[in-house]
Amino acid sequence: MTTDTVPVSGGLPRLLELRADNWPLAIILAVVISIAAIALLPPEISFWVALAACILAAGSAVYNAWGRYKGGLLVAPAIALLFIMNIFPLMWSLGLSFFSYRANRARAPVFVGLDNYADILTDPVVWERLQTTAVLVVLTVTVQMVVGFLLAFLFAKQFPLRRYLLILVLTPMMLSYVAVGAFFRYYYEPTFGLLSQFVRLFTGEPYILLQSTEGAMAGIVFADAWMWSPFVMLLVLAGLVSVPKYLYEAAAIDRASFWRKFTSITFPYIRGLLMLALLFRTIEAFKLFDIVFLLTEGGPGTSTETVSLYLFRQAIQFNKTSDSTTISYILLFTVIVLTNLYLYFVNRRARETQS
Amino acid sequence: MTDAALPRLAMRRKSRVSRGVGHAGWGRTIGAGVVSLIYFFPVLWIVLTAFKSHSDALAVPPKWLFTPTLENFVQVFNRAYSADGVAVDTKFDLFFFNSIFIAGTSVALALIIGTLAAFGFSRYPLKGNQTYLFIILTTRMLPAIVVIIPILIMFRVTGLAGTYVGIIMLYTAFNLPFTIWMMKSFFDELSPDVEDAARLDGSSDTKVFFKICMPQVYAGIAATAVFGLILTWNEYLFALLLTGVQTRTVPVAMAQTIGGDIGVRWGLLAAIETLFLIPVILVTFFLQNHLLRGVTFGTVKR
Amino acid sequence: MKLRIRLTLMTAGAAVVAGLGGAVPALAEDVTLSMAVPDWPPTRIMKDLFDKNYKAPSGNTVKLDIDFIPWPDYYTRLNTSLTSGENKYTMAVSDSQWLGAFIEAGYYRKINDLIDADPDLKATLADMHPAPLQAYATYPYKSDNYYGFPQMPDIYVNYYRTDVFCNEEEQKNFMAKYNEKLPCSPEEMDAIDWDMYEKFGEFFMRKKGEMLAGKVLDDDFYGIAYQAGKAYDFSTMQINAFIWQYGGNIWDETQAPTGHAEGVVNSPEAVKALEHYLKLTQYMPPVVKTGGMDIFKTDELFREGKVASNIEWIGFAESSINPETSKVADVVAFAQAPGLKVDGEIVRWANIGGQPFVIMTWANDTQIKEAVDFVKWWLSPEVQHQFAAQGGQSAIKSVYEDPKYVTYRPWNRTWAPGLDWQKDTWHIPEFFELLVQGQEQYDLAITGKQDAKTTLDNIAAFQEDLLSEAGHIED
Repeated sequence: MTTDTVPVSGGLPRLLELRADNWPLAIILAVVISIAAIALLPPEISFWVALAACILAAGSAVYNAWGRYKGGLLVAPAIALLFIMNIFPLMWSLGLSFFSYRANRARAPVFVGLDNYADILTDPVVWERLQTTAVLVVLTVTVQMVVGFLLAFLFAKQFPLRRYLLILVLTPMMLSYVAVGAFFRYYYEPTFGLLSQFVRLFTGEPYILLQSTEGAMAGIVFADAWMWSPFVMLLVLAGLVSVPKYLYEAAAIDRASFWRKFTSITFPYIRGLLMLALLFRTIEAFKLFDIVFLLTEGGPGTSTETVSLYLFRQAIQFNKTSDSTTISYILLFTVIVLTNLYLYFVNRRARETQS
Repeated sequence: MTDAALPRLAMRRKSRVSRGVGHAGWGRTIGAGVVSLIYFFPVLWIVLTAFKSHSDALAVPPKWLFTPTLENFVQVFNRAYSADGVAVDTKFDLFFFNSIFIAGTSVALALIIGTLAAFGFSRYPLKGNQTYLFIILTTRMLPAIVVIIPILIMFRVTGLAGTYVGIIMLYTAFNLPFTIWMMKSFFDELSPDVEDAARLDGSSDTKVFFKICMPQVYAGIAATAVFGLILTWNEYLFALLLTGVQTRTVPVAMAQTIGGDIGVRWGLLAAIETLFLIPVILVTFFLQNHLLRGVTFGTVKR
Repeated sequence: MKLRIRLTLMTAGAAVVAGLGGAVPALAEDVTLSMAVPDWPPTRIMKDLFDKNYKAPSGNTVKLDIDFIPWPDYYTRLNTSLTSGENKYTMAVSDSQWLGAFIEAGYYRKINDLIDADPDLKATLADMHPAPLQAYATYPYKSDNYYGFPQMPDIYVNYYRTDVFCNEEEQKNFMAKYNEKLPCSPEEMDAIDWDMYEKFGEFFMRKKGEMLAGKVLDDDFYGIAYQAGKAYDFSTMQINAFIWQYGGNIWDETQAPTGHAEGVVNSPEAVKALEHYLKLTQYMPPVVKTGGMDIFKTDELFREGKVASNIEWIGFAESSINPETSKVADVVAFAQAPGLKVDGEIVRWANIGGQPFVIMTWANDTQIKEAVDFVKWWLSPEVQHQFAAQGGQSAIKSVYEDPKYVTYRPWNRTWAPGLDWQKDTWHIPEFFELLVQGQEQYDLAITGKQDAKTTLDNIAAFQEDLLSEAGHIED
């Protein structure tokens, strides 16, 4: 403790001092003004008043921090934009999940505490959708990993025309869901579809893929995995090209077998990336919506309805706004757990490389 | 010393360990060619359909040899919307422009804001750095439907609904998380020695950033741009709900070929998708070498 | 092109400035009606006619700012715009089922006062067939509260191929097999019932390589098709018809709050009706087993020449007579959809299609006045004739009873008799929940996973619960 530490009693006068860099005061003022504006003025005007107050507070903080907190200033625009566009709407939705509210009813929201969560978590339909989602996630991610892995090995070496062929494989990722949905529906369709036409060459009978639950699942998994395996391929490929050459040269001198080279040199370099691919694709697969909606609409019955499709029905078709935000938060919780796993693996890999 | 440091820096990068698993010959080309073509087949069929007349599009058995027509491509930009109607401008030139403008601007903005933030996170560690980064990443993992209503209300109040500014801001925020993550890891990887030396020589922080750090991460920027573009290019839900007549993007407008008076206008849908693939394929092709680096959220060489 | 882009940018910039600066006060004589519509010919024709002909009787310059939204996303976009409160649209084209959901929320404006204040409009509505008027305008269904005006009224009719049905060889074989004449002319086809339709299915189901109408088939061929899809309402609309024809009923909102779902929805008549509906699907193209046989697929199968007959909305007919989109354009004919023969009479109850216009509650007085003038213009006999001449339909009696009307399109002869048999499904706010659950259950039945009785029992139990909770069923 040095002697020039500000005594506790001096805190208040300093706080009230009217100076441009007195950001705590600016923030307090901004909050007060904003609340007053929201309470007293019509929304169209209060928004701008509140925004101006926030800008003033931010300006004061920037003025105060100038030259001292470079990092904070550099990060601030990004944080601000993310706050406005992501965090704020999220908090809004989080709030709604504690109310009973439907967007297309004139009734005002009623506070219900954790009732929505209790209802959703005890709803067998939600659990059924979560199970369907889990099955689809496991299947599609497994296929993507295997296919992506094999494709990456195919492209790991330099060879003539590699650049052009690689683009062909990457293209599915760049397609629009509208086109993918329409065309895969057509590929699977028994009368016109290419799949059925192909099978008919051998059996003479039209092939009806989407007739059964298993077939519908296979159709969804095939289309989704086809579209996103290139993503896994890129990850694994990035790992493969980062293996230092001298390791292989050393292995060649030792006459190590292919399998030995793979397990002792290649795999350690791509293991972390494979885990990343796995987690990243799992997180994305949890949001699986477009392909399912466009190919089967959840059918036959509800056997391929994922939780995202269920969420869409609740939020948009039924306008059960607070129920849908509750489901979203349960989903988000799952995703956060997964993201934590993801970070754990990233960090572990970082530690491994350093050591 | 600052300027003199640059060639040395270049040498430094060149003298790195050489990586990769070596070369293969034309044999691999043939193998990879067959696999790629099979993999590409569903896309190829879409492209072929774009050149087919209406009677060929759904032919049974499927037609491999047909008289190609450019009619579908003409109709993308100019067609009659009803049987007796005259051909009118479909405004697809505007929609293509919108897609390119909106995706391009938001990717560029995300790069600028994200690179600054990444540099901040990398060079000036804040208290709770990991927490900030975690929250930033989490925003990327949300089901979009959950934030739609608050965002719409926000856009309504601010008058941003249906404007370029609104959708660009949203896409920028959408692109920011992985831009920050990737760029941060690129900055982390740079050797601090050169920067320190430059600082000792009296260079300002700004000069260090632009003259020393930036030139070394161009590859990272290219990779981030490609990846951001691929993700933004086909975004559907926000584009559907937040764009207006003048700011509509191609993925949304494309749906007009489905479910009107006729199930699917196969040729037209295929033609739009084919045209829509060209820009993103070109960009990816030219920045391809950097993409390998970008896709991993910058964790490859950590 | 460059200039164009720059202009677009400038317009966009101006829009941003206008948006930020708050609404620029409109000049008294410039009124903009912004309208959300699905993107398809009936709305495109309307916009076209408006741009060419419309002069506002008030002397104002009225601009129709139409947002053409692709059909697949139309509900999502309209619903989100409305629920977010952005008040972007002054008018919209709405499916009739959506009425309750958006009226209860306070979005669609009640128009009784407008009708009462305007004798011309009142006369126009009095001249309208009651079935479409009730379906498109009333909430609760068949009450006296009016909310909409017909934009494109629609019913389903029987599309069939004369080259197949009128072929002498086929006629002879059909007679030999069933001892009945295979219908050929539209009048003969009007008279058929579902039993006859089933015979078409059985008779025309041919394998690749077999003969059809004197030609060797290069692909499998099927006799009949109607909607049996999983999405939206693409089986309910046809199943409702069977249920009504059998004397059963869906949950009837005009009987609320005393009418029940349990015992009505799964009544023995309804079960028989669903069984009949399902029985016919065995003669349909294989896609029916996937839940993929929606209204678009049956239309495509018909236009590609894979089926002899298809029960389909009139809204698709234009593309089937257009040689650019149809392989059967020169041989297609139209008749009334089949019905059920009860005591020698054919009962033809069917579910009406089509969409009304609505006016939003936030429209200001000037906009409302112009909107009413616009609607009156649209429903005026002259414009309705122009619309019909380009393939649209009219619900106005004096228009469709005009001898000219049947000359516009070959299917128009089915219009007047068809209208008498139309009913509509629910208009209540919970319609989408009822619809989705119903479609799921029907899909299980259509794809062969459960029988008709179980299906309707499940639907009845679900509806009884949901409707009791929502207060539509009491006691």
